Amino acid sequence: MNAIAYLRRYWQLYALLILPVSYFIIFKYGPMYGIIIAFKDFNFFQGINGSEWIGFDAFREVFAMSDFYKTLRNTLMLNGLDLLVSFPAPLILAIMLYELNIVWFKKLSQTILYIPHFISWVIIGGIVYQVFGTQSGMINNIVTSLGFESIPFLTDKSDWLITYLVVGVWQSAGWGTIIYLAALTGINRELFEAAEVDGAGRLRKIWSITLPSLKPTIVTLLIINVGHMIAIGFERPYIIGNTAVRDYSDVLSTFVYRIGIESGQYTLATVVGLFQAVVGLVFVLGANYFSKKLADQSIL
Amino acid sequence: MVKVANVKKKASMLLALTLASTMVLSACGSNNENKGSESTGGEGASGKPVTLKVEVFDRGNSPSGSTITKNYLTSYAQDNFGTPNNINLQYVPIPRSEEIQKLNVLMASGSDVPDIVFTYDSPTFYRYAQQGGLTELGELLDQYGPNLKKFLGEDTLAYGQYEGKQYALPAKRAHLGKYSSFIRQDWLDKLNLPVPQTTDELYNTLKAFKEKDPGQTGGKVIPLGMALASAQYEPLIWSFIQPVTEEQRYTLTQQLGSNDYPTLLPGFKDALQFMNRLYNEGLMSTDFSLDEDKKKLGEDAAKGLVGFFSEDDMNPFYADALYATLQKNIPDAKLSAVDVYTNSEGKHPKPEYAPVGLYLMIPKSSKNAVEAIKYLDWMASGDNLLNMQNGVEGENYTLQDGIPVTKADASDEVKNRIYNWGDMAIISNGKQLGDTEKNVEAYVFGMPEQFREETRKALSVSRSDTIKPVLFDRPIEAQSKYGTSLRDKFHEIIVKTTMVKPDQFDGTFESMMKDYMANGGQAILDERTKAYEAMK
Amino acid sequence: MRDRQAGRSFDVINAIAILFFVLLCLAPFLHIIAISLSSSRSIMSGEVSLIPVELNWNAYKQVFSDMSMIRSLGFTVMMTVLFTVLCMLMTIAAAYPLAKTKLKGRKIVMFIIVITMFFSGGIIPEYMLVRNLNLLDSIWALVLPGLISPFYLIILITFLQNIPDSLEESAEIDGSSHFRTLISIIVPLSLPVIATLSLFYGVGRWNGFTDTLMYITSPEMYPLQLKLYQLVQNNMVSELMQMEGATGQSMLQPESLKAASVIFATVPIMLVYPWLQRYFVSGVMLGAVKG
Repeated sequence: MNAIAYLRRYWQLYALLILPVSYFIIFKYGPMYGIIIAFKDFNFFQGINGSEWIGFDAFREVFAMSDFYKTLRNTLMLNGLDLLVSFPAPLILAIMLYELNIVWFKKLSQTILYIPHFISWVIIGGIVYQVFGTQSGMINNIVTSLGFESIPFLTDKSDWLITYLVVGVWQSAGWGTIIYLAALTGINRELFEAAEVDGAGRLRKIWSITLPSLKPTIVTLLIINVGHMIAIGFERPYIIGNTAVRDYSDVLSTFVYRIGIESGQYTLATVVGLFQAVVGLVFVLGANYFSKKLADQSIL
Repeated sequence: MVKVANVKKKASMLLALTLASTMVLSACGSNNENKGSESTGGEGASGKPVTLKVEVFDRGNSPSGSTITKNYLTSYAQDNFGTPNNINLQYVPIPRSEEIQKLNVLMASGSDVPDIVFTYDSPTFYRYAQQGGLTELGELLDQYGPNLKKFLGEDTLAYGQYEGKQYALPAKRAHLGKYSSFIRQDWLDKLNLPVPQTTDELYNTLKAFKEKDPGQTGGKVIPLGMALASAQYEPLIWSFIQPVTEEQRYTLTQQLGSNDYPTLLPGFKDALQFMNRLYNEGLMSTDFSLDEDKKKLGEDAAKGLVGFFSEDDMNPFYADALYATLQKNIPDAKLSAVDVYTNSEGKHPKPEYAPVGLYLMIPKSSKNAVEAIKYLDWMASGDNLLNMQNGVEGENYTLQDGIPVTKADASDEVKNRIYNWGDMAIISNGKQLGDTEKNVEAYVFGMPEQFREETRKALSVSRSDTIKPVLFDRPIEAQSKYGTSLRDKFHEIIVKTTMVKPDQFDGTFESMMKDYMANGGQAILDERTKAYEAMK
Repeated sequence: MRDRQAGRSFDVINAIAILFFVLLCLAPFLHIIAISLSSSRSIMSGEVSLIPVELNWNAYKQVFSDMSMIRSLGFTVMMTVLFTVLCMLMTIAAAYPLAKTKLKGRKIVMFIIVITMFFSGGIIPEYMLVRNLNLLDSIWALVLPGLISPFYLIILITFLQNIPDSLEESAEIDGSSHFRTLISIIVPLSLPVIATLSLFYGVGRWNGFTDTLMYITSPEMYPLQLKLYQLVQNNMVSELMQMEGATGQSMLQPESLKAASVIFATVPIMLVYPWLQRYFVSGVMLGAVKG
């Protein structure tokens, strides 16, 4: 097929791409020249072009900070734990919901489960202290009334990790089910009937019918999640975290906020951002490569 | 195959081209925009009114019927200053909580920035001055702002100087006191105890509160209410700081953000040791490290669990605030303002505010610096400030001995006129009535009647034996660089050394201090020492 | 028999586990409602948990009598609908061609898109761009910069790739153009995922406010979440706020008003999901077609 015939046949597909690609070029690549701030001593009033070049000086400065390595380690640790705990949670919850036979209860549960997603972190933070506080938190009130020592859920480093994960699962699991539930609508119900005839039990059916039909969605989400291993939202660690557990709760985003935004040093903030972007891209390409090899699926 | 490759190649080249061109285009665009807006600014002499843009904080609390850019006070300024001078006042709202970030972006964009901008953050002011983005105001002030200059005074203006030049006009602060301490007088009466006069006596009183539980809290008593906020820990810590020489004061103090911190001053470790003792003996709020917004402390105190605490001098007394709630819960509860923490000389030292509020600045890109100064000068002259802060005499307030007293029975509509006076009357922080005593009285009269006496006491506590902030004649760069990180580290020192078991106190303190010094503390110390040498 | 019994106990345990999680998710919401209906005394004393104490409706009266809140609700709804519709059009337009693995140039385009998931120019150049396009202080500043989320685009591509090729091929043999295939076969078959992504876009827009902080200056164009944020955030005590001294203190808003505003700003968008759930059922058809 020559190029003209190819285009004649597929021009509509390319036409569809014109607007989306222009969007990315204008709104995403247009401002990307801002990356050069990382190599300049950024001066607000001289702008990006007018500021002085400093080469890799800012990189050297960031890489010499002990807080950078601490926050990098914490970011990877918290994201790694999230990948183990918070990533499977919505999947399990979605399957549980799918297995639910009472229609009204199913619909009602779905609606309520995603409420936490709508509560802003500032408010969640307040509630977390009321629930997990050592002195008069709800859980510790029960614990102490049973005659046990109160548990420092928020002020002991390892206990805090658990609190962080629990709050994360609580906040995001319901919301995360939505995408899986959408995927589950694609299952052919006849498959279940056939399996029943074969005498397959519930778990067996989940394992061999439900899960495989979710595989493409799981793999896609997994690849993207791995790509974001080094990026971390600001609010959750900042608001759930506190001074007593800063050894664990201080992450790259809070680090950037502190040295970059609060102190007005945009150069340093851009350096960290650029570092995160490069690592993130490498991670996502790596995950994509393995997924292609192992699961014959890729996003690129 | 070759053709396929060709198509691919062409496609990618095309993309690269468009990419490059948009980048160039957007870069060009920004340049043109800058030039365009520069040539259209200013020039009001020809009869066309000048538009003067003034920043205003938006807190999202505008009452129904007004907006942050159009309300009683904006009209007042337009009618009394704008229209007579052929100036159009335009207010540019900046979200209060994101002020610095938005201001940074506006400053960087060059053209959208208001003619008058401000911030409470002194490091931000220094940064703008250092990067050459501000108009020098010395001559303008002499020429167009005589009233303003007189109003602000030398002391306040000194804070707006950078390398000897006036780059900001700091607002004048009406009341410099910060903190007072409060004790449950009814508990003391019940136990027949006197008001503690020293830190040692306080310790014994706290012990008595704990053991005898005069509030019958069922073992929930918190003798000393603490939070991880400066109002709670500063009075305690500063009272342990030993008398210092002038040189020590300049070199060993560390200014992080807008406050001075005593991390390196002699006695800091003793203060922490005292906190550690209180904490481990169960005399202090267990969860103070989580309570950065003082919410928990407020709840505990309102519930009547707290025996003694320090706080911003006026905070407990507002209508519906802590004291009012406490009395609703426990009708015979009595809160007394007291000055207890004592240093080695028998004084009750505590920090006071710098005599400044907002740093008012005029960006270099502004073409209306003259009009901007005139606006601020107008605000400082005649009764304008009084009117902006208090509203209409007879409707909003009545004058008693020269002190405006808010009329409590005014309608909401009348009251709402001046809902944003603090953000509109930008040349002053607090009401200015000529001298400190009167200013303080204005605060007292702003409180519910039954709390006025106690408020007066708290306000005199907060003003006695105060420590003034250290002001260098040049900015300390390490402070603006490491300030925010070190403030967090400072809190970490307090939390960790307080919560650790007493036998691990020394080790924890040493390692925390080492971390603090390595992450900027040493740099600040070195720079301050050098700056002090140079200043002498 | 034993199988059926095992199935039933599975159902019971499953239902109880879900109920437990449901209650956990409901509790904080009830707490906020309780706060919005309680007296300031009881809130300040920390007495309110799930049931209102000293019940009163003052906070809601205040919210509903504030015309700017009502207007803001109207603006937020309009902005969210406009944003969601445009986003879905753009995302579908991009996903359909990119789902075809054999399309030439696909890899390059995908790469261009994936890069933007990680690299961005930062806040200042983005502001300059919006300004140079003359979008500042207009609804378009809140709509155009976020039109396609690469993440959601990739999800949609994944879903489209699972539609059996046979369906499309048969349409192609019938002489249907790509446009027609997209509209008459692909979109109807993808309603569940389209509904899901619409929800994601819509909720994202509804809850987002950081861009409004930068791009919007006219109070008439403040979305609800921005007003809410101002209410909630202004009470945060920070080192900076401390500099304000008494000026800031006198401007604090009562907690019950904050809670009522949270409810006012959250309930409308929460109602969208139950409404969208109908599209999740219609998706069952896909299975039938596939089989």
